[in-house]
Amino acid sequence: LSHYGKLFSFLAKMPLEKAALEMVEKCLDKYFRHLYNDLEVFAAHAGRKTVQLEDLELLMRRQGLVTEQVSLHVLVERYLPLEYRQLLIPCASSGNAVFPTQ
Amino acid sequence: MEDASAEEQQRLTDQQLKAAVHYTVGRLCKEVAADKEMQFSKQTVAAISEVTFRQCDNFAKDLELFARHAKRSTINTDDVKLLARRSSSLLKYITEKNEEIAQVNLEQKAKKKKKPERGNQESAELVAEAEAVECEG
Repeated sequence: LSHYGKLFSFLAKMPLEKAALEMVEKCLDKYFRHLYNDLEVFAAHAGRKTVQLEDLELLMRRQGLVTEQVSLHVLVERYLPLEYRQLLIPCASSGNAVFPTQ
Repeated sequence: MEDASAEEQQRLTDQQLKAAVHYTVGRLCKEVAADKEMQFSKQTVAAISEVTFRQCDNFAKDLELFARHAKRSTINTDDVKLLARRSSSLLKYITEKNEEIAQVNLEQKAKKKKKPERGNQESAELVAEAEAVECEG
């Protein structure tokens, strides 16, 4: 969880107090609970028992993060490190193989 | 020229819709005022109707997303329920309404072999009588 503290102070560009960090932890807890609930409901709505990338995209679309102008791939490109981007965005490599396959 | 006239037409339709919503909100506010014995100022009614109008926009977009997520192009009652799942009491209310409507539909089907449009009726229930007012206008 100190990892989150570092992330927050990096994004806010200023150090964080202990009390503020505790509040952040509480908020994160609530947020993730909400998130899991939503994902579960969306997966069930599409008649699946497995949460897939589509559910996450729908969630982000409803949160206003993914719009017509900003697709999920753009966000992935912008915020994630290279090894995750390689996992998420299909890209043609040598031998005409596309990884990951869609 | 074409674009301009189309835009004008769009604006007119928008205004008509807003007027219909405003009229309905006014009537509902009158009912509440009679019930609770308090007054609504005109600005309040206008604000409520504006909020309602934008809320409809949000609802429409969300419903479209939900229906597409379930690989459908037709919005049905499940999507509407999903929209209302944030508050349990509202969800309960909507579910009850849905069951009522389903019952009525079944009776209608038994009476005459007419295909009822469930999703349409549901949304009509939700947006109160806005559509009815629209049809009158």
